[in-house]
Amino acid sequence: MAMNKKALQSAIALAGVSAFALTACTGPSGGGTSSGSAAGGGTITYGTTDKVVTLDPAGSYDAGSFMVMNQIYPFLMNSKPGTADSSPDIAESASFTSPTEYTVKLKSGLKFANGHALTSSDVKFSIDRVVKINDDNGPASLLGNLASVEVKDDSTVVFKLKEGNDQVFPGVLAANAGPIVDEEVFPADKLMSDDEIVKGKPFAGQYTIESYKKNELISLKANPDYKGMLGKPANDSATIKYYADSNNLKLDVQQGNIDVAGRSLTATDAADLEKDSKVKVHKGPGGELRYIVFNFDTMPFGAKTPEADPAKALAVRQAMASVVDRDAIASQVYKGTYLPAYSVVPDGFVGAIKPLKDMYGDGNGKPSLDKAKKAFSDAGVTAPVTLKLQYNPDHYGKSSGDEYAMIKEQLEKSGLFKVDLQSTEWVTYNKDRTKDVYPVYQLGWFPDYSDADNYLTPFFIPGNFLKNHYENASVTDLIKKQLTTVDKSAREKVLGDAQTAVAKDLSTLPLLQGAQLMVAGKDVQGVDKTLDASFKTRLGVISK
Amino acid sequence: MTTLIEAPPSDADGLLPTKKKSSGGGLGQYILIRFLLIFPTIFILVTLVFFLMRITGDPITAALGGRLPPEQLADRIHAAGYDRPIFVQYFEYLGQLITGNFGTTLSDNRQVSEMLTTYGSATLELSINALLVALLVGIPLGMIAAHRRDKAPDAVLRIFAILCYATPVFFAGMLLKLTFSVWLGWLPVAGRAKTSTELALTALQAPTGVYWLDALRSGNMAALGDVTAHAVLPALALGLLTAGIFLRLVRTNVIGTLGKDYVEAGRSRGVSEFRLVTKHAYKPALIPIITVMGLQIAVMLGGAVLTETTFEWKGLGFQLATYLTARDFVAVQGIVVLLAVIVAVTNFIVDIVAALIDPRVRY
Repeated sequence: MAMNKKALQSAIALAGVSAFALTACTGPSGGGTSSGSAAGGGTITYGTTDKVVTLDPAGSYDAGSFMVMNQIYPFLMNSKPGTADSSPDIAESASFTSPTEYTVKLKSGLKFANGHALTSSDVKFSIDRVVKINDDNGPASLLGNLASVEVKDDSTVVFKLKEGNDQVFPGVLAANAGPIVDEEVFPADKLMSDDEIVKGKPFAGQYTIESYKKNELISLKANPDYKGMLGKPANDSATIKYYADSNNLKLDVQQGNIDVAGRSLTATDAADLEKDSKVKVHKGPGGELRYIVFNFDTMPFGAKTPEADPAKALAVRQAMASVVDRDAIASQVYKGTYLPAYSVVPDGFVGAIKPLKDMYGDGNGKPSLDKAKKAFSDAGVTAPVTLKLQYNPDHYGKSSGDEYAMIKEQLEKSGLFKVDLQSTEWVTYNKDRTKDVYPVYQLGWFPDYSDADNYLTPFFIPGNFLKNHYENASVTDLIKKQLTTVDKSAREKVLGDAQTAVAKDLSTLPLLQGAQLMVAGKDVQGVDKTLDASFKTRLGVISK
Repeated sequence: MTTLIEAPPSDADGLLPTKKKSSGGGLGQYILIRFLLIFPTIFILVTLVFFLMRITGDPITAALGGRLPPEQLADRIHAAGYDRPIFVQYFEYLGQLITGNFGTTLSDNRQVSEMLTTYGSATLELSINALLVALLVGIPLGMIAAHRRDKAPDAVLRIFAILCYATPVFFAGMLLKLTFSVWLGWLPVAGRAKTSTELALTALQAPTGVYWLDALRSGNMAALGDVTAHAVLPALALGLLTAGIFLRLVRTNVIGTLGKDYVEAGRSRGVSEFRLVTKHAYKPALIPIITVMGLQIAVMLGGAVLTETTFEWKGLGFQLATYLTARDFVAVQGIVVLLAVIVAVTNFIVDIVAALIDPRVRY
C-alpha cells in the first residue's frame, strides 16, 4: 500500500515537472531564440489589424488589400523607398510622348511566377479590366482620365488620356489601379476569388504568395524573377499576420512574436510602447485623413428623403462643421497622435490650405454654437435634427468608437442634433456605404500617391469613390484644371480654389489628419525607409 | 481483503439490477434507439434555429432595416428570396442542408460549409483541451476534497469550485492572460501558434486543422510544444468552468460511495482512507461525471465563443462573434446548426459510454 501511494505521488510529481518543463521550454520567444519569426533568419513577420477585402486589384480600394498587392503585383511606376516621386518600376522608361499620350516601355524578360511572360498585352488587360469591371469597391475612379490603352508591341504600351498633361497619371499607375496581372489567369470581366488567385500564381512583384489564409496568415517568399526598381528584398521571406484586437497586436510585438506591428495601434498603445525598451516606435509623415461623409440622397433633407430640401441639408452640414471640436477629439481621444484637419487636403501637401477654419466655428478652429444655430435659422431648420451616424469599429482602429462617441456628445450637447450612433464591421460596411445604406458616416483615407489631387479627384468628381451623389460642375472644373496645369504656382492656386469650393458644399466633413506609425523590435532594421510620403508599406526594406 | 478489492462495487452492495431485470433488448437496441433519436433532435434544433432567427424578420431587414430606403430594401429582400412564404424558405433550407449546402456567407462571400470545416477543427481542439483540463483538475481535486471532507483543504477546494463555475469565462480568460502573458511573460498572448508553426502545420499534406494532432503526425516536437504553450491559457479559461462542476460532483459522489457497506467493510479491515478513495470509491463516482460531461459540451461550446474571442483563437466561436458583428445571418445560422449537431452527437456518444459503464442507464 505504501509503495502504491509513493508511486502515485511520484507519478503526479513527474507529470507536473514534465508539464512545467514543456511549457517553460515552449513559452513566448522573448529571448529571441524561438522557432517563430525570430528563428527564421531571413524572415520578417508583420502584424496588422487591417483586413483584405480581395486580392483582385479590380475589386478593392482599401489599405489592407493594397498593402498585400504592393508586395506581390508589379507596377509600371513606383517610388523608391524614402521618396514619393514616381519613377519606372518594371518599366524601362515612361514619359509623355504627346500631351495625351503616356508611353511606357517594359523591361525585357519579365515573367509571372507561374512562368507566363509579362508583356504589354498583360498591361492593357490589367488596366482595361479595372475599368470594365468597375466594381463598387474597386479603383476604377482613379482611371477617370484614361481614354484607352494601346499595345504597340510586346514591350510598348501607350496610355491615351482624355485631358492632356495629366500631372498625376504616373502616380495613378503606381497606385491601386496599377497592379499588372496575368491575362492568362484572371477573367476579363469579373472578379476572381482569393484562393483561385493564389493557385494561379499571377505574381511578378517583389514577393510571391506561398500560403494564404484569408485575414489570418499570409506567407510571402522573395520572387527571384522580379526585375523592378525595388530590387531584391532585404529579407528572404515575410509573413503577414492578421489580428482582430490591437491589444494582442501590441502585446505580440512587445513579446517578440512579431517583428513589426503596423496599422492600427491605438494612440494609447503608441504612447505606452514609447516607454518600452524592447521596441521602437517609428513615425512617418501622415497622409491619413479622417472625415465624415454625407450621402446627398439620404442624409437629413437629402434629395431622396420625403422632406428633401438642399438648403436645409446644407445647413445641417454647416451646423455640424461649426459644432465639432476637433482639438478635443485629437487631444482626448488620440493623445496628440492626430491633428485637427480644416481641409479635405491634409496640411503639408503642396497646395493645401485651411478653408474650414475660417468658414465654420469661431474662425480659429474652435466650435461655435451661435454659428451653427444661425445656419439652422437661416435655412429654417427646426432643431433637433435626427442624425443616423454610422462608424466602423475595426478598420480605422479601436479608437473610432471613442471618436464617434465624442462627436455624438458634441452634436447632442449643442441641442441641435439627436444622434443615432451605429457601427458595422468593415467587410459589410465597405459594401453598404456605396449602396446608400448610411446617410452620414465615417471614412478614413490613406492616400495612394503623394499629391493633393489624391484627396480631390477620388471624392468630388461625378461618379466618385464615395458614391454619395455629390456633384458640382465648378468643383469638377477646378479639379480637372489642377490636374493639367503644368505651372507649379498656378496649380497651387487652383488647388486652393478647389478646396474652398468643396468646403462650401461640405460633401465631406474633414476632422483629423494623422501620422504613419509602426512599432518594431530593436533588432529590426529598415522600418523608417517604408514610412515615407508614398504611404506604401514595403516589406522588402525590412530586415533583422 | 482480496474479495473486497476485486469485486465490482455495484455487485458488492447488491443494489444494482441484474440483466434479467432489463425491460429492453440489450445494449444493441439501446444504441440503435439513441442513434435514431439524434435525427429528430437535430431536426428540432435546426427548425428552432431557423424560425428563431426569423422572429425579427428576414436577415436583410434585420441588418439594414431603417437604414435603407424602403424600395431598395424591398429589392434586396426580393433578390435574396426572403419575401417568399416562410415555409417555402424553410423546406428549401432543409433541402440545402440535406445536400450539405449551408449557403454562402453574406459578408465575405465564403461557402459556409468550407468556413465550418476550416474553423471547426480549431474549436474541436480547444474543446478537447478544455475537457482535459476539466477532467485533470476536477476529478483529482474532487477526490481530495472528499478524502479530506469538512477539513481545511475541503473548504478551500469547495470555494475554488464555486469560483471556477461562477467566474465568467471571458473574465477568467483576461485574468489568466494578464497574469501569465502580460505580467509574467510565461505564455503566449493569443493565437493558436507562432507564425512559423502555423505555416509549417498548414503546409502539411492533408492537415486535420487540429494543430497538436498535425504536429504529432508530422513528428514536429517543436511545433507540438509551441501549440501546447498557446493552448494552455485558453484551455484553462474554458476548462476551469467545467472543472468546478466536476470537482463538486466527484466530491459528493465519492462521499456518498464512501458510506457504502463494502467501503465500510474495507475500512473496518484496515484499508487506508486514501486507498479507499482512489481505488474503490472513484469508479462509481465517475458515472454521473460522464453523463454531466455530455451536458457540459453545450456549456463549453458557449464558453468557446468568449474564450476564442479573448485569445484570438480563430475557431467557430471567434467566427461566430465576427459574423454576429457583421450581422451575417447565413453564417451565424450555419455555425449554430453545426454546434447543435455537435451537441446532439456528443450526447449520443456519452449515452453509449454511460450505458457501457453502468447497465442501469439502459432502463
